[in-house]
Amino acid sequence: MSIATRALSLTVNGKAVGPVQVPETTMMIDFLHEYLNLTGSRLGCGIGVCHACTVILDHPDGRSEEWRTCITGAHFFAGKSVRTIEGHAQRDAQGEVAKLTPVQQAFIENFAFQCGYCTPGFVTGATVLLEQLARNPVAREDLERVIHAALDRHICRCTGYVRYYEAVRNVVLATPGLVKA
Amino acid sequence: MRRWVRVIVVLAGIGALALAMLHFGVLERSVVSADLEAPLSSEAMAKLAARGRYLVVAADCYACHTHGDGPPWAGGLPFETPFGTIHATNISPDADTGIGKWTRRDFHRALRDGIAPGNRHLYPAMPYASYRDLTADDVDAMYAYLMTCEPISRANVANDVNFPNNIRALVGAWNMFVLRAPEQPDASKSAEWNRGRYLTNALGHCGECHTPRNFLMAMKRDRYLQGAVLEGVEAPDIRRDTLALVGFEPEGLARFMRLGVSPLGSMTGPMFEVVHFSTQYLDDADLAAMATYLLGEPPPPVKAVVPVEVSPKIGESGRRTWFALCAGCHGIGGEGLPQVSVPMRTNSSLRIPSPRGFLTSVMRGIAQQDFPGLARMQAMPGFAEHLGDQEIADLATWARATWGGQGKEITAAEVAELRR
Repeated sequence: MSIATRALSLTVNGKAVGPVQVPETTMMIDFLHEYLNLTGSRLGCGIGVCHACTVILDHPDGRSEEWRTCITGAHFFAGKSVRTIEGHAQRDAQGEVAKLTPVQQAFIENFAFQCGYCTPGFVTGATVLLEQLARNPVAREDLERVIHAALDRHICRCTGYVRYYEAVRNVVLATPGLVKA
Repeated sequence: MRRWVRVIVVLAGIGALALAMLHFGVLERSVVSADLEAPLSSEAMAKLAARGRYLVVAADCYACHTHGDGPPWAGGLPFETPFGTIHATNISPDADTGIGKWTRRDFHRALRDGIAPGNRHLYPAMPYASYRDLTADDVDAMYAYLMTCEPISRANVANDVNFPNNIRALVGAWNMFVLRAPEQPDASKSAEWNRGRYLTNALGHCGECHTPRNFLMAMKRDRYLQGAVLEGVEAPDIRRDTLALVGFEPEGLARFMRLGVSPLGSMTGPMFEVVHFSTQYLDDADLAAMATYLLGEPPPPVKAVVPVEVSPKIGESGRRTWFALCAGCHGIGGEGLPQVSVPMRTNSSLRIPSPRGFLTSVMRGIAQQDFPGLARMQAMPGFAEHLGDQEIADLATWARATWGGQGKEITAAEVAELRR
């Protein structure tokens, strides 16, 4: 029995990928790991609960959205543009990390993670939140609630929640334009 | 001129008289006998309370008369109706805000005639049209139980009902047209069947949701249990042929009401709450009796589903969406994952003529649900924003044909209609 495949083309971290023949039943996380060697997105629960596997889906209208790759077929992303955890930091000509994003930097400064398994998902979720706030700034008194709502679905088993939370709050408050004056 | 005045006065007088007669309920037929005037002794009350507790659960009083995390029986659940918002009342035995001063007969009148003390006609959101079939003994027991619960002082929330429906006496006219004589046991059927009918129709008041309503908002008795749409959600047809069509045999149906999950799917939305608050606590004999009544004696044979072919275009589109957004949790072959997602290849929502339940689940999603016995199903996201009308329609047509044996092609227009 042969596995039915389909040609897949998409944009990953700003670069065009494909067309590449991919089984029609392959999940996005497996495509990232096995076809693109982008192993930073974590396969945690495999049932869409822990959010360690999320990537950013960039819509043509400029909106960004968090998307779970362990329960979404690779072909769902055909023609779409995604950012994985590998696409956040700035890189130099050799492809080495030159500068972390403010979210990544804040997670390090706040000792936000221990084992790090959930971290790619938290970076993704926090980045999407920052991008949403840049489009729709939040009132200061609502900020804690908004952070909570955005990151609540991310699961961390090493007690990192408070430090993640504080790191994100620090970044939001330090970034002009995210909180209404 | 004076003649007109006289006519108007006479008409007004007749109207006032009619309203007064409606108010005092003299036009309605009470099913509460006079001997219920005698109060129950405290020994009798104590003896009845345990059985009353079970009956109150079977009648699912809690689901409406307790609000969210609020104190038990203190009321508060709002009902959005076409006439305005009605709030379930405090039925804890608090003397001032609850039913603490109600006599035994008051309680019977409210449950079976729909009239509370002071001739206050209840709105039919209180399912007294179904509770009318309760036996006097059972109503006594329910009264005994509720009167032993903790009194909670909490004032009822005022209803917000439009004119003229806010004239409660007019409900008396509704009662005149709608209320029937209580259902009597059918001697041609077994005791189990009769018990099941009583649990289904009177206590469980299943017909209140599963029966379409007429222009008076009364259950269409000739279409009893044939399915209805409430607040956009379909309460499916639960007559025997439909239940057999989707694959229920008596044991499976009884287990479904106990557990809320089965190979045929899981209880969702308002029916999940029915399992949560009521049917999971029913004893095995009562659940078996309900299954016997609903499936009939003997139950119809369960037939194997025969898959239907769809056009290559629809098949391609449906499979593509399935692999993109559904297979990750429900499995490539629709086999589901225990404690995560229901199997779809055996799902009842694909096996019935109406696609509405399947479509609304795909479009709106389903909240995470914890079922009896520590079982659970994860939350399902809604995909209305992420899929076009035609994609959703093709997914439904393909899945229904492949796993449900339903050949009807679902159109984009049907999906668009559900977006409104």
